[in-house]
Amino acid sequence: MTETTSGPGSDRDADIVCRQVRKVYNANGRLLEAVRNADFTVADGEFVALLGPSGCGKSTLLMMIGGIESITSGEIYAGGEPVTGPRREFGIMLQDPTLLPWKSAMDNVMFPIDMMRLSRRQYMDRALELLHTIGLAGFERSKPRELSGGMRQRVAICRALISDPRVLLMDEPFSALDAMTRDEMNILMLDLWETYRKTAIFVTHSIREAVLLSDRVLVMRDRPSTIISDTSIPFPRPRSIGLGETPEFNELCAMLRDLIEVARSDGAAQGGAAS
Amino acid sequence: MKDQPQVLPVEGSVIEGPGRYRRRLTALSRQALLAAVLPIVTAVTALLVWELLVRQSGIAHSILPPPSAIFDKLAGFLGLLLKHAVPTTYETLVAFAISIPLGIVLAAIMIYSPPINRALYANLVFFQLIPKIALAPMFIVWLGIGAESRVAFSIFICFFPILISTVTGLQAVDRDMLRLCKAVGASDLQVLIHVRFPYSFPYIFAGMKVAVTLAIIGVVVGEFIASTEGLGYLILFASSRQQTDLGLAAITVLCVVGLMFYALVVLSEMVIEKFYGSH
Ligand SMILES: Nc1ncnc2c1ncn2[C@@H]1O[C@H](COP(=O)(O)OP(=O)(O)OP(=O)(O)O)[C@@H](O)[C@H]1O
Ligand SMILES: [Mg+2]
Repeated sequence: MTETTSGPGSDRDADIVCRQVRKVYNANGRLLEAVRNADFTVADGEFVALLGPSGCGKSTLLMMIGGIESITSGEIYAGGEPVTGPRREFGIMLQDPTLLPWKSAMDNVMFPIDMMRLSRRQYMDRALELLHTIGLAGFERSKPRELSGGMRQRVAICRALISDPRVLLMDEPFSALDAMTRDEMNILMLDLWETYRKTAIFVTHSIREAVLLSDRVLVMRDRPSTIISDTSIPFPRPRSIGLGETPEFNELCAMLRDLIEVARSDGAAQGGAAS
Repeated sequence: MKDQPQVLPVEGSVIEGPGRYRRRLTALSRQALLAAVLPIVTAVTALLVWELLVRQSGIAHSILPPPSAIFDKLAGFLGLLLKHAVPTTYETLVAFAISIPLGIVLAAIMIYSPPINRALYANLVFFQLIPKIALAPMFIVWLGIGAESRVAFSIFICFFPILISTVTGLQAVDRDMLRLCKAVGASDLQVLIHVRFPYSFPYIFAGMKVAVTLAIIGVVVGEFIASTEGLGYLILFASSRQQTDLGLAAITVLCVVGLMFYALVVLSEMVIEKFYGSH
């Protein structure tokens, strides 16, 4: 193996690298550009939030990074290797907890292990530990229908972490929850972050959630679907939910809100001119 | 006492008297009872009216026998009726038992192979559109007058609803679930067995409920055309000799056989629901 000193995959400390990533969907002959020229890196152990209006292509971009959607053009690297398909070092969480209703919480957590045909015995203890850490002790045998929305999403977190992935990809994991449960999950996420630090990309609609959880916030716009800003969130860790009360926090949120507002009105103006 | 906070009685609060609870329960069971009793009352009334009308009008029993005559025949010829019920039941069971895996496997192949799907789908829809009953005599020509032709014809008309409902069910899994499967590296076969298939159970059972009725129709039509045994043969034999009461007794047995098959499907569905249902 030769060390390349320049070129796409070589950014220092970068775990995830996106270079001019583009996605064009062909929906029954109608071409739709869902992502245009996304260009960014995520450092090892960094938590990056991806923020943007509905339908701007956030999920599409995340799924391309996860190797679940194909890339129309451009390149994505993870840990220095090009992403061509799903990878074991990725853990994934989606808006819907997507638990199998006939499996217990424990078996749902073990689902990736079963699919990867890894030894169940070897991961059983880890699954138990995860369920306990996340506050689901005693619910190992419960079926999803016996769990609340927040508890189901907790099971999904355990499932994403079971194979000890290096990277976590999360697509609006808490957006289906009520405000109180969502706060709870955010606190949990911050705690988990201190325990199992990983590289993470977190798609959300909530500016406050993005600022609270992440080290950097990327703002994406619609028409064209590109990333328009990259903001560092300087607050030290460990963080607590109380951070949301500070003026600095609210200033950052206000600034991001303005950015999104501009993106949206631009998009609307262009959309109006085009039609 | 004066320092204790006051507890206000709240309308519909959790603190309900046991009497209230019991009243609601009895109201519920009364409703259930009514739902079960009403159809039975209607059926019994209809039978009584039938009996009275036939007796009053003096219509010939060979045209329309009263229910009492049919029950007499049912009791008197029970041995004969059951003897003919055996091949009908057996052939239906075989046809149905073959149709289920046939429909499901074909559906799975169609889901995973777009070329096969394209090649088959239009033809299957075409077959669905033709009146398949019309082909029954052809099956006799091709396979003779034995059980094979009836079973084959029965499969021919009953596997289609299973196929179509399974195809629908296998495709009904939501996108996020499939994304998750892909993310954890599940193979197509794993997704089929662990996710798509269990998710499609309600669809498969809906198809089976339609199919089980068609399976009996297939066998009975076969028996009408060429057979020396079975309930279909007995019905044809009795009506050709104007023994309408015997014919109707055979039809009654056929109804019971049909209900048994239907109940079997419903029971299996309940068992599967218990393990795989989401409620
Ligand atoms: N499989 C597909 N085929 C065709 N078009 C698609 C497909 N998936 C998504 N799109 C389109 O691509 C665009 C971006 O979709 P995407 O789901 O990535 O947006 P999003 O930013 O995640 O939206 P939301 O915030 O509502 O989840 C949308 O216009 C959507 O209609
Ligand atoms: Mg999305």
